Amino acid sequence: MNIVKDYMYRTLVSVCQKDSIEEVIRIMYQAEMSVVPVVNEENRFLGTIYSENILKNIIPEKYGFLDSNRLLFEINQAAETLAEIKNRQVKEYMSTRVSPIREMDKMYKIADIMLDNKESFLFVVNEKGNLRGYITRADLLYYLLDVCNDIG
Amino acid sequence: MITTVTLNPAIDREYFVDQNKPKEHKYIYDHNDIRVYPGGKGLISAIDLRNLGYPDIQNIGFVGGKQGIFFEKMVQDYKITTNYIYTENEIRNNAFIIGMDPVTYTHYNDYTYKVSKDDVEQLIKRFKRGIVDSDFIMISGSIPAGVDFDIYQRMVNICNELGKDVYLQASGEALNRALQAKPKVAESYFKHTKKVLNLELVELEDYLRAGQKLLEEGAQYAILRYHCERLLFTKEKTYCLSPVDFCLKNWLGAGDAYNAGFFDYVFRKGFDFIEANRYGAAAALNVAEHKTIFIENREDIEKNLSRIVIRELEV
Repeated sequence: MNIVKDYMYRTLVSVCQKDSIEEVIRIMYQAEMSVVPVVNEENRFLGTIYSENILKNIIPEKYGFLDSNRLLFEINQAAETLAEIKNRQVKEYMSTRVSPIREMDKMYKIADIMLDNKESFLFVVNEKGNLRGYITRADLLYYLLDVCNDIG
Repeated sequence: MITTVTLNPAIDREYFVDQNKPKEHKYIYDHNDIRVYPGGKGLISAIDLRNLGYPDIQNIGFVGGKQGIFFEKMVQDYKITTNYIYTENEIRNNAFIIGMDPVTYTHYNDYTYKVSKDDVEQLIKRFKRGIVDSDFIMISGSIPAGVDFDIYQRMVNICNELGKDVYLQASGEALNRALQAKPKVAESYFKHTKKVLNLELVELEDYLRAGQKLLEEGAQYAILRYHCERLLFTKEKTYCLSPVDFCLKNWLGAGDAYNAGFFDYVFRKGFDFIEANRYGAAAALNVAEHKTIFIENREDIEKNLSRIVIRELEV
């Protein structure tokens, strides 16, 4: 057991480029995921959409700054901006920079990728590039725990 | 990949007590006396197929609320690929209380789950792209409130458009409509009403007529349960499948094992309706004669093959 397929979370929860931002937010909330993969009609991985990206677009200037005096104003402003963009399509806000990893990749490879990209979440595809699931830093640590138990 | 569809899953909880008495407080201290597992037609078959060595098995359907996340994590433990639409309403919870002395079996079946129209449309979109690289699709089980009766018809149509063979196990109006989409194999179950396609089932002749009607309405092959036997219908012939020296201990999981065995045969040896049913029945026998829900390996199936008799019926 040292390949990604043995440790990944096997889920095809995803959105398409034409889906709306509102749909993405609902999926993020219900699935408890802050980043969701974007696929095409054939389930081919195209990129990701981050909650952070959506937030940055609705609180552009004050993002990350929690000033309690301005919080109500910020929230109202954010809600108004969200009302404007919630029907827009995922393709406007998605990122295509993140490369997925293959389900048959060795686990040690993902340590490098996660640390280099500062990603806590990596999406996993099969040999055709179709979405197969995701793997997290916790899975990497769990794998390392298995290795250290084997050594011990 | 093999895809199974479960639209109305449940968290099943079994409680084993010495005696199940009303108005009595029970304390359970042994973890062996409580079993919690993910339930629903299609899902159990998915787990069976995983146990038979298939690396990629997908289960598509709805799961509800925070308990839906818990349900999904239980399914993940079996290394099944989940493709769930998360809904606002909580997933179903079934409770089974099993008294040991005297033996009693009390079942509280939760039918409160409801999904929205948006959830259904999300499901259809996800289903379309989720089955792209599936070789076989198994659609089975009841549908939750909020889902229209044409849901299986829509799903079978999508499978047909993509050139995928469908095994459909359904009942009532959902089955009636789905037949119009001409699934490859249709099996009708009738837990609540003894009716198929509005035909009442009492005598063998009624079952034979209903089976023929399933074919006339669109199925290419049809299967009907007839007590402990199964009636198999092709366009040309009708067969009766019977287990020899059958000793029933457990129904739970037997029908799912049948479906998994059927798929396993077709996947490895190609579509032979009669032999795939024989293999499915041998798989079901293994579950029905033991206190297990899942099939574990092919050896357990194959040792039962000689006990499955299939004879042609004069119709």
